Amino acid sequence: MSSSSTALRELQRDLENKANDLSKLQKDIAKNHQVRKKYTIQLGENELVLKELDLLNEDANVYKLIGPVLVKQDLAEANANVRKRIEYISAELKRLDGSLQDLEEKQHSKREAILKVQQRIQSHQAGKAKA
Amino acid sequence: MGKPEVKGTVTSLSSVFPPEEMQKAAKMVEGKLSEKQNEMNQLKEFIADNTSLINLVQKLPDELHHDIMVPFGKAAFFPGRLIHTNEFLVLLGESYYADRTAKQTVEILKRRGKSLMSKVDALKAEMQDLKAEASFFDSTASEVADDLVEIREYEEDNSTERVSQSGPVELESPSVAEADNKVSASEDDEYARLMSRLEELEKEELAAEDEDANANATETETDSDEDELTEAAFHRKKVEGYSSLDHNQRYLVSQPRKQLQQSKGKDPMNEEMSTTYNHQDLTNQLACTGLTAEPVTKGNYGGEISRGRIVHQDTKMLNPPVNASVPSEKTSLKQIIHDSSRNEKPVQTPKSEFDSSKAFTGSIIEHTENLEKKLPEQKTTSSQSSDSKPSKPVSRFKMQRK
Repeated sequence: MSSSSTALRELQRDLENKANDLSKLQKDIAKNHQVRKKYTIQLGENELVLKELDLLNEDANVYKLIGPVLVKQDLAEANANVRKRIEYISAELKRLDGSLQDLEEKQHSKREAILKVQQRIQSHQAGKAKA
Repeated sequence: MGKPEVKGTVTSLSSVFPPEEMQKAAKMVEGKLSEKQNEMNQLKEFIADNTSLINLVQKLPDELHHDIMVPFGKAAFFPGRLIHTNEFLVLLGESYYADRTAKQTVEILKRRGKSLMSKVDALKAEMQDLKAEASFFDSTASEVADDLVEIREYEEDNSTERVSQSGPVELESPSVAEADNKVSASEDDEYARLMSRLEELEKEELAAEDEDANANATETETDSDEDELTEAAFHRKKVEGYSSLDHNQRYLVSQPRKQLQQSKGKDPMNEEMSTTYNHQDLTNQLACTGLTAEPVTKGNYGGEISRGRIVHQDTKMLNPPVNASVPSEKTSLKQIIHDSSRNEKPVQTPKSEFDSSKAFTGSIIEHTENLEKKLPEQKTTSSQSSDSKPSKPVSRFKMQRK
């Protein structure tokens, strides 16, 4: 009897741990989603800037706001910077997608493990009730 | 033969769409909808600001310089001048600025406005979808609340299914082309169903009749005559005479109507009919008639004879059970009856009359009266078999009653 009750307690502890892991995973997934959203918006904005820069004349003045300072920039330089930024953001998004996939898979497997532990607990309790 | 292979499922809507989940889903959809609404409001504000800015930018270059109150710090202004009225430092995005003239600035602003509008349109489409979802959930939630049950019937070749309806039942009959009837009275549903089926069957019968009518004229005559008489008798009792016709294994009448499908088993059929018939009226008869039509086309019937019989029976069947009142039908029915009694070929003619859906209604009403009139006519006009007929039906009736 005691052995079964300790086994039961162990199973329950196991279940708690797994539940915590699952909640952590879920939080990670949520964060991933948020960051993805931000990056997506930035990407859109950068593409818009690139379009406008293309429409500018060669001699137009372009300034970049760095903190409280408005710095004059070359058009070509500005173009190059914006393009690089776009590439960087797209790479980040891809990376985030991959990590999101991983997280979701882990979450799925964790859920299955939790189910199994729950089933074992149930069978234990059923056995206890019989005895 | 005519084994009713009833395949059907009765699922209560509440099991398919549990009410709590329905409510949850409805709430979720509502939440999403309100979110989208907020976004939409925000976008609309942006668009409004954009247009006012365009107006301002267009007005500024009108003067060389403007006298304005310049904001100074958080809570102070001082009078000043706005010069270089045609030079604008426009934010391109991502902390990039560019010097532009008023015209160029307006162009930039217009392009921004366009992208905003496209975003608004996309949002509108999403909201439409969400609204459709919400309405679907609402309707199913109300259905579930009404404890409606979904009934599906699957019709086999030789069988017709009738699922009894109880109270507020929603009937779905894929085999029969019918609209869902949320009618508390099950009979109404069955009636409509039967009517539509009768029409189909009639058409089928006519098609089949033409083939066989000529072939077995004599045989069908005698048989049909007998059948008619017996039918008449049955009809009076509102028996499902049709089932007797079904001895060719055409239809399987639903439980109340279940009738032996034996060409020779008239007596047993009669018995069945009398007992079951009393319970159901129109619905049964209609079902019978409708059913007969099906077998004709399906070619399940054993022979031509049966067809002839069925034809006659159809007419008769229709008369007693249905209380439709169409005077015109009477005449057509009478004609049909006369024809059928006289010769075999009438199988065709009555069929033609049967074609019209009216035929059914008319025949139904008048049948009882016609039958009585017909019986004497048949006795006089028909051949020897007819003479014997009156005796036969009577005897059958007796058997039935006993």
